[in-house]
Amino acid sequence: MQQRARLRLAVIYIGAAAVLLGTVGPFLWLVSSSFQYERQLLNIPPQWLPNPIVLDSYREIFEGAVLGEESGVPYQSRIFLRSFANSFFVAGSVAAIAVLVGAYAAYPLARLTFRGRSVLLFGILASRMIPALSLAIPIVLVAKRIGMSDKIVTLVFINLSFILPYVIWLLQSYFKTIPIELEDAGRIDGCSRLQVVHKIILPLSLPGLTSAGILAFLLTWGEFLFALLLSETPASYTSTVVVSLFATDVDVSFVSIITAGVVSVIPPIGFALIFQRFIISGLLSGSLKG
Amino acid sequence: MHRIKSLFLLLTVLSLLVGGVALAQDDGLKLTGWPYEVDVVTENLGRFTDQTGHDAVFLPFPSNEYRDKMVASFVAGTEFDVAYVRDSYLAEWAAAGWILPISGLEGADELLADLPQGIIDQMSYEGEVYGLPYYSGTQVLAYNQAHLDGAGVMSPPETWDEMAEQAQAIKDAGVVEHPILMELRSGENYLLRSLEIITAAHGGRFFDENYNPEFHLPDSPFRQGLEWIKTNLEAGLIDPASLTNAEVDTLMMAGTNSFMATTDYTLKAMNDPEQSNEAGNIKNALIPGANDQRSGTIGYVRLYSITNGAEDMDAAWQLVQFLGGKDATGVYYVPKRWALEFGLGFSPAPLYEDEEVRNSISGWIDPDLLNEQGNYAISRAYRFVPFFSDWEIGSWGPLQAIILGEADPDDVLNELAEEWIELKEDWGY
Amino acid sequence: MQSKIAETRKELPQGMLAIFFSAPAVLIIAATILVPFGMAVFLSLHNWNLKRPGRERFIGLENYTDWLTDSDFWEPLRTTFTFAIGAVILILAISLLIALLLNEKFPGRGVVRAMLLVPWAIPSVVNALLWKWLLDPNYGLINAVFLELRLIDSYQAWLGNMPGVMIWLVIAYSWIHIPLATLLLLSGLQTIPGDIYESAIVDGASVWQRFAFITLPLLRPMLSIVIIFEMIFALKVFDIIFVLTAGGPADATNVLGWTIYTETFRKLDFGAGSSIAMLLGAITLALAILFYVFLDKGVEQ
Repeated sequence: MQQRARLRLAVIYIGAAAVLLGTVGPFLWLVSSSFQYERQLLNIPPQWLPNPIVLDSYREIFEGAVLGEESGVPYQSRIFLRSFANSFFVAGSVAAIAVLVGAYAAYPLARLTFRGRSVLLFGILASRMIPALSLAIPIVLVAKRIGMSDKIVTLVFINLSFILPYVIWLLQSYFKTIPIELEDAGRIDGCSRLQVVHKIILPLSLPGLTSAGILAFLLTWGEFLFALLLSETPASYTSTVVVSLFATDVDVSFVSIITAGVVSVIPPIGFALIFQRFIISGLLSGSLKG
Repeated sequence: MHRIKSLFLLLTVLSLLVGGVALAQDDGLKLTGWPYEVDVVTENLGRFTDQTGHDAVFLPFPSNEYRDKMVASFVAGTEFDVAYVRDSYLAEWAAAGWILPISGLEGADELLADLPQGIIDQMSYEGEVYGLPYYSGTQVLAYNQAHLDGAGVMSPPETWDEMAEQAQAIKDAGVVEHPILMELRSGENYLLRSLEIITAAHGGRFFDENYNPEFHLPDSPFRQGLEWIKTNLEAGLIDPASLTNAEVDTLMMAGTNSFMATTDYTLKAMNDPEQSNEAGNIKNALIPGANDQRSGTIGYVRLYSITNGAEDMDAAWQLVQFLGGKDATGVYYVPKRWALEFGLGFSPAPLYEDEEVRNSISGWIDPDLLNEQGNYAISRAYRFVPFFSDWEIGSWGPLQAIILGEADPDDVLNELAEEWIELKEDWGY
Repeated sequence: MQSKIAETRKELPQGMLAIFFSAPAVLIIAATILVPFGMAVFLSLHNWNLKRPGRERFIGLENYTDWLTDSDFWEPLRTTFTFAIGAVILILAISLLIALLLNEKFPGRGVVRAMLLVPWAIPSVVNALLWKWLLDPNYGLINAVFLELRLIDSYQAWLGNMPGVMIWLVIAYSWIHIPLATLLLLSGLQTIPGDIYESAIVDGASVWQRFAFITLPLLRPMLSIVIIFEMIFALKVFDIIFVLTAGGPADATNVLGWTIYTETFRKLDFGAGSSIAMLLGAITLALAILFYVFLDKGVEQ
């Protein structure tokens, strides 16, 4: 038996190593590049490890954020870290609201019988069928007309409405996996539907809710099209817009773009790290044993 | 459950706090463009404010998506008073009424008189001039002197056939695998630009001055150029990266290639030891010729235009004059600064004679050769019709199919000519 | 799946409850999408080219019939399907494997799970650079590695011809999308109670049998969601085309998403751009319904 267990672990670690190589490998190479001189990026064969380690572009980003114009670093570096506040606001609000609102909308789709259920289910998803590109200009136009352009609240709304359909679908599918007997038990104890949702469905759906929240946060953090089209001043730039600003047309510094990219990956990964342990919670299997 | 609730709450509160920071409003002139040297632009605007009393702020957008951003901005009603424009979409923006002509504005004639006609043509749509130049220049041949030396080649090629021979010699000597680079990728400013250069160098052009197609005619310079590309791509002398890479000039810096027709200012980066592994080896020469033609090239202009969102026309025009022409003291302050400190190409005649400017650029490019190359730039009125990009977008795929040997040139070119004629008639040109 | 107990309390009818529960979400979506969507439909019924101000006119379904009779619609449609099928299959296969792996308990699992999300979090402009660099014909990493492993004998221009360009696009696209699919499948795997496996092991079921008869059927709801999501995403693919190939070479990667972009943002022909977007939307919706009926309804029985 012990040999079996060892074999199992060996297989798992080989698999895990392959996963890490495939996902993090390219990223680590980005990290390595961000510590190199511009011209070293063009070496043939590629240079795997930075030698020497060049910290200039990181220094610029952090000095720029702290000292502002006094730092003497380029504009992009100065406004970069500040744009994180906007990204946090937008992605955080979208994640929180989408999970909250989405969970309530998902419950009837998973559990209730009513006429028009399929219509509602597909009506919600149908809103995501038209490519964002062809809704983009109408949305910018409307936002401008009602005085909502260049405001990050607008970005919250737009991202929310784009992500909610996915969250609702995800959650309604998740809710269906919760054994109906648990819900019935609650209802026999005299819970209203709302109480059932609060006391039984939501706590048991922690892994699903967390996945939905991470999905919403990451998709919003990485959103670029509307962040670009709706912003007019640095006050409403999100981090993806500023990362793209490092592409300057003439005389592009690839190391700066890469560094900005590496830095902007840290918050969403941090967010996922904090929250994703709830995906594997064991709550559900525990509750069934009784 | 409690921990998550509080985490969520904390996150929401935090983000609300950060998001609540009041947004500053600015009532002055708004200039937009791509984010090249933002702080220098802002500094220049400071000088403008000192001289005229008008506040002005620069709000740039990412270079790769600038055009798309501005389309959305114009449709919704733009905030910006003055915008950078690339000549490749000038006609469309002018046709849509998004940018305004400067012809006839006070002082315009005097500034235009200092510019070569070729540059004025590249800023015009239906006879009106739509701005003043930010930077401008021509496509030149960049070559790697060290590679030529390595293969025992004495001087850069004067004809395209000679370029192929030299490339073969470089390849045979084992210096590099695919010596020639061309921008053959799909996209604005890639494939068609390269074909325009090689066509011009063969003594031809795509369309005549009445916008009738010439490219498809039997044995046209365009066809000769296309054939040259196809042959040398097959022979492995043209780097296959030409078809895929967006930033081909980085390959010159990597040292994997020996020849490339490129925008003049890229030589600066190619010769910058911080960015390039071949710094000091990259020289400029005239684009090679063919058919008894010594050379041929095309020019480019980036310009400042007044948008249809400008509220104070006078102030916006003052800003355009300051940026693209002379400042209040009567000198070409901004163009000279770009040329002197950043090596951007310039158009106003007085700057050509400026000793300071000549000395500063000669570190990375031969100014006399650059000047001479400018004389070979062809006039391209056809690029400044509103339907050019409609045609261009549809041409990338079929033309690449010819180059890759996947399609018959006669069929494709005749069809492309028909498409052009259809568009031309539809638009009443 | 419906509750078997009788209504024990006075309660709103289920239809009213459904409205009450879903109202906030539906309102948010409708408030943002409805007007722009209406505008897009309106534009699709018009001859509306921004370069010709003052010449806009209603033309009914002409934009649609024009597209449906034009190879400029059918060719990109075929390319889109080729891409989407390849991408969905690749994403599904790999993310299922990873999800099964991460569903096992082992020290260090949390780290692997977190790192898995990295590709998803990289901003698109950086992703573009990353893939350009990886695939570069002259100084690219993939060329260097493959040459080292003797998989190739000289550097290749991976994006220079078919089918290479399509294969690499699918790989680059999938790399970004696998984390999402894995995350969803993993949360689905977590709903499968461990005791089922334990009794199966007692009954002598092999690993493969456990996968085929327990995991797969119970994972089916989430699997169908992942397939539907990924299909919707893949049919609308645009970003990666924009940065890597711009539809080339020789239109080999000219997908509908790219056509919509060029019609709208480059040709400024909003009528043509909106109508082709509507067509793509209709096709996507039809497929989503088909998949749902096929995959999800089966589960409920």
